Amino acid sequence: MALPSVDIVIIGSGAGGAPMALTLARAGHRVLILEKGAFYKAEDFVHDEILNSRRNFFMPLPWDEPHLLRHGEDQHYSRTNAAWTANCVGGGTVHMSGYFYRFKPVDFRLRSEVGAIDGATHADWPIRYQDLSPYYDMAEEELGVSGEWQPHPFADVRAKKAFPTPPLEAHPISHEVDRVAKKLGYHPFTTSRGIISRAYRGRSACMYCALCGSYGCEVNAKSGTHASLIPAALATGKVEVRPLCMARSIEVDAEGRAKSVIYLDPDGNAQEQPAKLVVVSCTAVESARLLLNSTSSRFPKGLANNNGLVGRNLVFSSFGESRATFRVSKNKARWPWIEDGAPFVQRSLQDFYLMKDASHGFRKGGTLGFMWTHPNPIFAAAGIASSGKRGIFGKKLKDALRDYRDSKILQFEIYGEFLPNPKTYVGVDSNTRDKYGIPVAAITVTRHPHDFAMSKYLVERGEEVLKALEPDHLERRATEGETTILQGGTCRFGNDPETSVLNKNCRAHEVPNLYVVDGSFMPTSGGVPVTLTIAANSFRVGTQLVKDLKAHPEMLRKSG
Amino acid sequence: MCPPPPYEADDDGHDSPLTFPRRVFIQRLTFFGGGVILLGSACKKAPAPDASPAKNAVPSTSHRSLTNDEYAVMTAAVDRVLPKDEDPGAVEAGVPEYIDRMLLSPELFQMRQDFTDGLNHLEKRSRDTYQSSFARITSAQQDTLLVAFKDAGSSSGEAHFYELLVTLTLEGFLGDPSYGGNKDHVGWTLVGFGTSEPPPSYDGQKHLHHMKGM
Repeated sequence: MALPSVDIVIIGSGAGGAPMALTLARAGHRVLILEKGAFYKAEDFVHDEILNSRRNFFMPLPWDEPHLLRHGEDQHYSRTNAAWTANCVGGGTVHMSGYFYRFKPVDFRLRSEVGAIDGATHADWPIRYQDLSPYYDMAEEELGVSGEWQPHPFADVRAKKAFPTPPLEAHPISHEVDRVAKKLGYHPFTTSRGIISRAYRGRSACMYCALCGSYGCEVNAKSGTHASLIPAALATGKVEVRPLCMARSIEVDAEGRAKSVIYLDPDGNAQEQPAKLVVVSCTAVESARLLLNSTSSRFPKGLANNNGLVGRNLVFSSFGESRATFRVSKNKARWPWIEDGAPFVQRSLQDFYLMKDASHGFRKGGTLGFMWTHPNPIFAAAGIASSGKRGIFGKKLKDALRDYRDSKILQFEIYGEFLPNPKTYVGVDSNTRDKYGIPVAAITVTRHPHDFAMSKYLVERGEEVLKALEPDHLERRATEGETTILQGGTCRFGNDPETSVLNKNCRAHEVPNLYVVDGSFMPTSGGVPVTLTIAANSFRVGTQLVKDLKAHPEMLRKSG
Repeated sequence: MCPPPPYEADDDGHDSPLTFPRRVFIQRLTFFGGGVILLGSACKKAPAPDASPAKNAVPSTSHRSLTNDEYAVMTAAVDRVLPKDEDPGAVEAGVPEYIDRMLLSPELFQMRQDFTDGLNHLEKRSRDTYQSSFARITSAQQDTLLVAFKDAGSSSGEAHFYELLVTLTLEGFLGDPSYGGNKDHVGWTLVGFGTSEPPPSYDGQKHLHHMKGM
């Protein structure tokens, strides 16, 4: 028995789903949001590392919801225990650290800028930076972003220089980072954050508690959609959120239009929710999985996948990291402020965002973000204890933990271009199912050599900065990494239905009432974390959809 | 239960001195300075709890998830991972109580099985090598066995048990005190960690794995 029909159903409530819901609701449309995770309240967010960071409060246990992964098509798939998808109203924006950078104009026309690259499938976007720019402004306003504009060679082009709130207070080390980076000829600037530094729209300012990433914010200073857009959407009276509802498939009518979503309710019962428009926003991996699992006689290879491109062109963010340790006792004389508990360093470098030539083996680079290492003590101690031949225990471990107490550890992370390629994609494996009985995502990752040249180069530049600070110890942690979060590309948008899944307004070429608004649309990964861009794009798509619905009310006709 | 996967899990099925295969059980999400480490023991869905190894064990005890013998071996082992010196160690922090209680979680059934199998193997190795229980041999002998487990190779059951032991010890030593460990914040004091804590009535264990009730 199908449930009563709704106009618009949105699957997912994170950076993609929430802006769409808010935009549609403000225009008077009734919206239902299906979210597989729980709807946490601020008081559910406690400083408990085991609960937040080590169990399934945010991330499903890997044996409940497996992912299959292989690095290279010549490898076998194996189950991964990595964390892939946040599960709660607000999605990954709840436990994010909130590095809210914008993409640059070059990210919208990478193919034109750097030309063809052997083995890579990067493409220009069907929109330009100026098309998205007003929606970056909107996303920053609606979510609440702190920052300050500073000139540098790759500084954002902003209509309004001011951010909704001023930047967060930075630890005094930030001035040292500025000093040595400038001496090296680089242009450090203040990192903008999805964390408000002043009371904003009824939310409290950041308390600088330091437990930010991997936690929910108990004062709602962090600008997750659960704290900003979702409450605003609910306040319109037009939106219903159904948490703990896991979408299994999207069904189509005889004309190949989406007609309903089959989901498992909190008791595990299958429900059929009819809708006139279906919006998918479950992360690039999970959205592709949902479409691929939605097979029908019209779409035997999965919904909107008659051209075989759903799940293709998967991208993550290239990742690298190094750490510099400063012993407090040794450095207190030169830096009396070193023990200051301020949690944020708030400095970034984008001098290597686009290289003028390929003399270092790559053209498109990315961003370095400087930060203190995460204060989670179990996380830190497990890294110190290590395992195997490098593992320590006993007196040695206790001494190392006491050394850690006497340390401040400054790190940088790089977020670099991840070149899409024909050997990086997501499919589904019907022989491996999650706890809901749904076939799981099978992910194949193959890295382009340019990515490794790029991340190594950026790590080396970051280490120049760390070395100039004369640390007691410098450790290179990663140069050839990629994230599991920050996914994109599986439903690439474009003007040509032969080479893309979505049109430039993120509507499926093959299904006129189906939209995808998470990172799936992105033909390239950009050189910054994607959260703000996903939100901005969803505001753009939502705004266009409102216009289209006004001009063509028949779009909400009852599906046959 | 799901049918067997068509792929070959490269971390399963190796010949191992232990009866359980080594499985990848920790993976980190460190991006953005994050501190997420999902802790799970098994890549497989855990068997139903009625396959509990406890059915073969001596009925016991004053403990919750471990037998008296297992508890004694576990206590001796965590005492070597973080011994008392000028600062309190794992036993003073209540780590044995933490582990015993944490392993009650039905969601961590596979971990409990791997951990108790590992404890029993450690005990057997101690009896074979030193003709005495792990809980009664000297500290130096205990360390020799733990090093042997630690260095047994990344695909071995011994190394898997060692990682579980260290991980659970650190969770108990440095986790929220409501779980039974980190008594008087001795763990946090050792590493210099301070945070605004949950209210006194908070019990983390009651929140684990219970999304519906939130």
